[in-house]
Amino acid sequence: MKVRILQLVTVIAGLGAWELVARAGWVDPLFVPAPSAVALALLRIGRGALAGLADTLGKTALAYVLSVVLGVSAGVVVGSVRLLRDVLSPYVIALYGIPKILVLPWIVLLLGYGTTPAVFYGVLHGCFPIMVLVMGAVRDVDRTLVTVARSYGATTWQLYWKVLLPAIVPSVLGGMRLGVVFCLLGVLVVEMFAGVRGMGHMLGSYANGFQAPELFAATALVSAASIAIVLVLDHVNDKLSRWRG
Amino acid sequence: MPRAAAMTVVAFRLGLLAFVLAVWEIAGRMVNPLLGVPPSAVLPSLRDLLLLRSYPDLPASLLLTVREIATAYLLAVAAGLGCGFMLGMHRLVGQAWGPMLAALYAVPAVVWYPSLMLFFGLDAASKIAFGFLLGFFPIALAVLAGIRQVNPQLVVVARAYGAGTVTVFRRVMLPAMLFTLVGGLRTGLALCVIGVVVGEILGSKAGMGALINHAYGLLRTGDYVALVLVTLVLIVGSDVLASLLERRARGWTE
Amino acid sequence: MSARPELITIEGVTKRYLTSSGPIEALHDVSLSVDEGAFCTLIGPSGCGKSTLLGMLGGLVTPDQGRLRVEGKPVTGPDPRRVATVFQEAGLFPWRTTLQNVEFGLELQGVPAERRRRTASELLGPLGLSGFAEKYPRELSGGMKQRVAIGRALALDAKILLMDEPFGALDEQTRVLMGEWLLDIWRRTRKTVIFVTHSLHEALFLSTRIAVMTARPGRIKAALDLTMDYPRAMESSEMVALRAKLWSEIREESLRAMR
Repeated sequence: MKVRILQLVTVIAGLGAWELVARAGWVDPLFVPAPSAVALALLRIGRGALAGLADTLGKTALAYVLSVVLGVSAGVVVGSVRLLRDVLSPYVIALYGIPKILVLPWIVLLLGYGTTPAVFYGVLHGCFPIMVLVMGAVRDVDRTLVTVARSYGATTWQLYWKVLLPAIVPSVLGGMRLGVVFCLLGVLVVEMFAGVRGMGHMLGSYANGFQAPELFAATALVSAASIAIVLVLDHVNDKLSRWRG
Repeated sequence: MPRAAAMTVVAFRLGLLAFVLAVWEIAGRMVNPLLGVPPSAVLPSLRDLLLLRSYPDLPASLLLTVREIATAYLLAVAAGLGCGFMLGMHRLVGQAWGPMLAALYAVPAVVWYPSLMLFFGLDAASKIAFGFLLGFFPIALAVLAGIRQVNPQLVVVARAYGAGTVTVFRRVMLPAMLFTLVGGLRTGLALCVIGVVVGEILGSKAGMGALINHAYGLLRTGDYVALVLVTLVLIVGSDVLASLLERRARGWTE
Repeated sequence: MSARPELITIEGVTKRYLTSSGPIEALHDVSLSVDEGAFCTLIGPSGCGKSTLLGMLGGLVTPDQGRLRVEGKPVTGPDPRRVATVFQEAGLFPWRTTLQNVEFGLELQGVPAERRRRTASELLGPLGLSGFAEKYPRELSGGMKQRVAIGRALALDAKILLMDEPFGALDEQTRVLMGEWLLDIWRRTRKTVIFVTHSLHEALFLSTRIAVMTARPGRIKAALDLTMDYPRAMESSEMVALRAKLWSEIREESLRAMR
């Protein structure tokens, strides 16, 4: 309880101090607008911003679905075949660690502007953490469970479906939780670099136009959306993990 | 793993690499050498780059990027350690602000970048600020996590033996949390590097990212790949350095 | 065809393993036959190959030499309709409830859900798990988990039950109680059980036949037939003498295995 009060007080005090500082003219309103100005700007850009948000989230959702499908299947296949895992692991981890921004210009060169490179880049960002987590989970499946299933006559298909997949669900969920932020990140970066629509593009143009209140408002909107999505995923994660305790 | 099997794996790895390079070479030439950038086109560009023929100001750009990274990292370490310890040492404050910090971490950092560009302009300052922002969080969170996992019993025992606060910190808390802390410092460096590079590519007047954009803009794809490779060496090199330091630090605690 | 008295025959089985320090022979020329309805215990020092032998009967391990037959037919792979196995680690699937775990074997065989549920539910009573149908393994004690594992094996209604030190991970008191419970289940279901253990008490308390194995490479050193009634009076002079005899056979092998 005390924690909540302190958090609330912090936020209110912070906003209040910011407002006072801005009004007193201690900061240039061109660069640091007052919270009240930001709030007004939010109302002004409201509809347009929500449309941009919807556009960005739409691309993110598409990239996310592709990332999960790709990441889980690749993770299961590579993780369960010993030779593939040994050969490919260092490459996968290397690719995961390399900042993908370096290939962004090339991707834009090949795929042009707009939605396609954004989704592609989002998938590039999102599928690696999922794949790496799934590979690790497949590798760490309790051997006893596999032996038990085989002794009960499980076919290879049944082994994958009834033992492996349920066993890796916690890691898949963890990867999905990471993946959504990564996908959103990828989409936003492309929108900033080579976009025609979407929040990334919007943020970029507000910055170029020195429209600080609008920029802050849009930034706050995207941040709130991102936090909300992560909270929802965490909640879903908890619900699906009853058996783990 | 027995030697024969290990050698098979290495053979497969090299074979895969050779196969990928071969496919890239053929496909690159077939499609459009300018877009496809086959490896054979990269080599002469790389040579020109390293001989400073294509971009004579390469060393200056490299130095600038490195300085941006270093500045961002020092700031991130200072702020990260400071915030982390403040949140960790005072229970109520840590419990209140810790989750708020973690919530901000759920936001893709790139959303802050346009604001930073507005405030700091296209110069080095915005890149340093962005690198700082990226590197700060993992360090602060690692400090927090490190402090939380110190066994409070150890502190109680130390105080019972008459140890003062500084001694408690140096001899009990620090060794116990060093592992987590060093991990956070390493992640922080990696993220600082990424932050600076991303910042430069998204818009800058100087530095490696600016050179990359320049090459890309003029469709000098060979030069672009060569510049990317040089930047990659910088990035991987910094992480290798960090891992070596991590291993040294690990040695101190054992 | 009527039930053959020798339900299980093992003839001249040898098994070698390749390790980093060279090939080792786990089993050498092992022969044994087990009648239907018997409770046969394999006992011996660590590393004598008892688990390997059980693995062969379960179709998970193939012999290098020799043959294993179940109901006259050679063993070629896992045969859940005839042979069910219980391992030392319960091996329950943590994401399945007790009921779902017991149903597992039936599910693999494509038994319809309604019938599976009924079979599994009916087993819960004798298993002492009524009321725990919807619990997850993490909510169960070690003894309960093993009972679920045994229930899962019983649900298959196979003639033969292979048990590889099923009570090995439990504490002494739970072991004794589980042994009594298992005896009750066996006498009711009349299955043919091959039971691997280290415990002389369990072997003497439960078995109709005890096969003593030598240290590696494992062979059947001696076979004792026990004809006493159940439940057995472990303090009777007959039992005490038998225990001494059993221990003398085993002790020699245990010492050899330790060297």
